[in-house]
Amino acid sequence: MKLLINIAFKNLFRNKLRTGVSILAVAFAVMVIVFTRGLLDGMVDSTYSLYIHYDTGHIKIIDEEYQQKQKLLSLNYTVNGLENKGLTEMQEDLAALDGIEMVVPRLKFGSAVSTEEELVKMLSWGVDGEKELAFTNIEREISEGRMVESGKREILMGSELLNKIDKNVGERVTMVYTTAFSSFQGATFDIVGKIESNLPLLNEDVVFMPLDTAQELLYLDDEVTELLLVTEDRNLTANYLPQLKNYLNQNGGNQYLVQTWREGSSFIQLLEMSEVIYNFIYVFLVLLASIVVINTMVMIVKERTQEIGMMSALGLKGSEILRLFMLEGSAIAVIGSFTGAIAGGILTYYLSGVGFDYSAAFQDIDVLMNPIIYPTFKFEHMLMAFLLGVFVTALTSIIPARRAAKLNPTEALREI
Amino acid sequence: MALVKLVGLKKTYQQGKIAVPALRGIDMEIESGEFTTIFGPSGSGKTTLLNMIGCLDKSTAGEIIFDGHSINNLNNKELAEIRRHNLGFIFQSYNLIPVLTAFENVEFAIRLIDKHSKKERREKVMSLLEEVGLGDLASRRPNELSGGQKQRVAVARALIKEPKLVLADEPTANLDSETSQEVLEIMQKMNKELNTTFIFSTHDPQVMEYANRLIEIKDGMISREQRRD
Repeated sequence: MKLLINIAFKNLFRNKLRTGVSILAVAFAVMVIVFTRGLLDGMVDSTYSLYIHYDTGHIKIIDEEYQQKQKLLSLNYTVNGLENKGLTEMQEDLAALDGIEMVVPRLKFGSAVSTEEELVKMLSWGVDGEKELAFTNIEREISEGRMVESGKREILMGSELLNKIDKNVGERVTMVYTTAFSSFQGATFDIVGKIESNLPLLNEDVVFMPLDTAQELLYLDDEVTELLLVTEDRNLTANYLPQLKNYLNQNGGNQYLVQTWREGSSFIQLLEMSEVIYNFIYVFLVLLASIVVINTMVMIVKERTQEIGMMSALGLKGSEILRLFMLEGSAIAVIGSFTGAIAGGILTYYLSGVGFDYSAAFQDIDVLMNPIIYPTFKFEHMLMAFLLGVFVTALTSIIPARRAAKLNPTEALREI
Repeated sequence: MALVKLVGLKKTYQQGKIAVPALRGIDMEIESGEFTTIFGPSGSGKTTLLNMIGCLDKSTAGEIIFDGHSINNLNNKELAEIRRHNLGFIFQSYNLIPVLTAFENVEFAIRLIDKHSKKERREKVMSLLEEVGLGDLASRRPNELSGGQKQRVAVARALIKEPKLVLADEPTANLDSETSQEVLEIMQKMNKELNTTFIFSTHDPQVMEYANRLIEIKDGMISREQRRD
């Protein structure tokens, strides 16, 4: 075996350009895989976080009817407790369940502010400020002022929204809204904070106000439109569902719909599917690069036919000739994959700090996605791409190697 | 007992739908230590006969007995084993491995047998390279050697494992007469010193002069045979 390794290694240098091109093809494919995985991972991870923070939680509890009316911001199908328990008691019970770390209530409704030119529509969220700070990354996005505090008639809103209504932090604004009883009313708020975010939802649409203030204005005492549950591990969310459903069933909460974050958004399901599809694309990419290696090796076998005949005459068995050529293919696979994994790692590491600005592409798409995507640099991505490159390329080199091993020695020796 | 015995050996190649007979029934015995030349015109079947004796090809009919054992029913792996341990080959176009040095090319043949230590191998290869006059050129690659030097490396490679039989297919065809003579003298010396059996195929009258047995082949059959003392 040592003899074969020695010859295979030396053979790599027989035609440096050809070997170089083959190595480059494998390296390029592996580099693209490392980078694409990093990019997809960065995109998926940040998108999952955004959906969890601002839409689905780990588990979302809503009224069954509300699911259909969510877009209309209906206040007729709220979460208002159970048969013999109010919302506050229900929240306490939920928080006490195994694996549930926090219960985040939100009361979402439509509102508007009238300026001299137009009526600016907005999405008002009645929230528990402290819980929002603990659960989401909103604190990072507040560029001026602070989060709203309970008991006060105050709001926090995005810079784009502030521009539209021509107001600043510290000023007051009057908003109009429709109550749960469909009456049209108005209220004046202090603007206590400004959000500066890449996310259009936070920058242009949402207005945060204290939950108790929102409940008072809308006549929805101890009611919310949704409860978001935060669990210990988002990947194990499904494990916490049985006890949760059991609790709701036993307490007459059959009208409530319980959704995990994966079920809660079709975009997340789409992303998950795309991750699976990308795995096939990675294999396909390496296969493409392998074609270059196969082509190179077929040429090598053709060129060295007489040499193969001579080796066979000296007593080298078919299996040894197969091994000799597979070793040569594997060496190209290992060197190419290693180079590609390192190059991909360096590229991803660099871009993980700089990011890609996709804002133009996402402008008119209604998805919760950070328009600046930061690829994730992970050693495991490099390792996976390296192993995939080595495995697929080495395996495909069987094709030319078998051809060499099957050569008839007398015919091979006649070849010029 | 003859080292090689051929009984009614026939070989027919199929070229499309046409059957082309290359050997039409050869009966022959080669004794150990013989220095035999097979000669004849192009297409007479010399190389085919050498390939049959060298376990590189299988006959269509007849029997080949090598060292007392019939090889007719052996599979490719078993034939490779016989070549590896008992046969040496010298080719017209040298067929050295270009990425290996002269030393490594010779060493290649005994590394396949794997019964010597590294030190033993080194001593054996160097001593044989000295014998063929290439002691100083052991570290050169084939592209740094002349035709005669390459063929001497090939001779050393064929002899290094001390085979029972060396088959040489037109070994001097690419060499000038002076170099041919040098190479032939080396082979004759090895034949006498080591009692190695040589079978040549050739057109070259110079080669025939060295042989102690001449076999002429025409149209796939032995047409004449001559022994010399």
